Amino acid sequence: MAQGVAQLVIDPVVESLDLNALIARVDVNQVVDRVDMNAVLDRVDLNGVLDRVDMNGVLDRVDLNPVLDRVDLNPVLDHLDMNKLLANVDINELLGRIDIETLVKDTDIGELLASSSRTVASEAVDLGRSHAVSMDDTLARWVSRLRRRRNAPTVPTDSPTAQEQS
Amino acid sequence: MTAPVEAGRPVPRLGATPPPALASAPQQRRGDYAGFASRFIAFGFDCVLSIGLFELVLAASSYAASVLTGTAIHWSKGDQWVIPAFFIWEFLYFAHFWATSGRTPGMIILGIRVVGQDGNRVGTRRGLVRTLAFPLSLLLLGLGFLGILFRPDRRALHDVIAGTAVVYAWDAREAGLRSLARESSSRRR
Repeated sequence: MAQGVAQLVIDPVVESLDLNALIARVDVNQVVDRVDMNAVLDRVDLNGVLDRVDMNGVLDRVDLNPVLDRVDLNPVLDHLDMNKLLANVDINELLGRIDIETLVKDTDIGELLASSSRTVASEAVDLGRSHAVSMDDTLARWVSRLRRRRNAPTVPTDSPTAQEQS
Repeated sequence: MTAPVEAGRPVPRLGATPPPALASAPQQRRGDYAGFASRFIAFGFDCVLSIGLFELVLAASSYAASVLTGTAIHWSKGDQWVIPAFFIWEFLYFAHFWATSGRTPGMIILGIRVVGQDGNRVGTRRGLVRTLAFPLSLLLLGLGFLGILFRPDRRALHDVIAGTAVVYAWDAREAGLRSLARESSSRRR
């Protein structure tokens, strides 16, 4: 009976209320401040929510370029400990995934390898040239010493003989 | 001193002899005047190669003449025409390489090249004049070569006559880097 009375009273009251005007008078920020968001979030099953989200669909709708334009990566990189990061990387596994044949075919690495084998062949030539150049320099040193000795005055300029001559 | 540029290609800079203190250090030598030892060894190599080739041609022509005439012919250095043929051959050998690229095979091995005194390519005229003037340096009891030792630009008599110079076309620093690369690659292996 009480339920019947309540229904009789509540329905006309609700109908007569201007809900928009009521909400306009509510300070939402104050309400939000009173809400314990952590308690709310504790009750939410985020995994369940995320399972139901089509992330690909979301990402398709996001234009990442303007987002990335606004990101200053330098401070991010400053915070990165590259050594720690690289310590977690299995280089062998990474290298195992590389198609070496394609790499050599598509890049200048093949040319580089070929030129390095050419340089192996030229090792003797380089050595011979180095010796020849050092012999050149030795000869040049001898000659310059010889010329200095020849050009050196036989009588010192400040000697009495030189003063008499002048 | 700015290096002269010939047809968009860097031409060796003609520089002075480096100070002796720097001589042993690996350094950029390209464009410096080449010294006596490098030039002498290159010339020795060219002599061996050109004489060897001449002997080979002589033997081949002896064989061809024997086949054609049916009698055994053996041309040796004592034959009257072989000596002038030898000098013509030597002239052609040096003139060809100096006039076309400025480098004989011996010079390629020793990493030196003939350039004009202005640093440009030798060219046909200067190449030919140099080849013709070269015997002069020899005929003067080798005195023509003393310029390589005593002149600051290390030019011999035939260089002065032809307006040429010999410079290093090889970079000791590059060779040093190549050697380092080889060492590190062999260590990795």
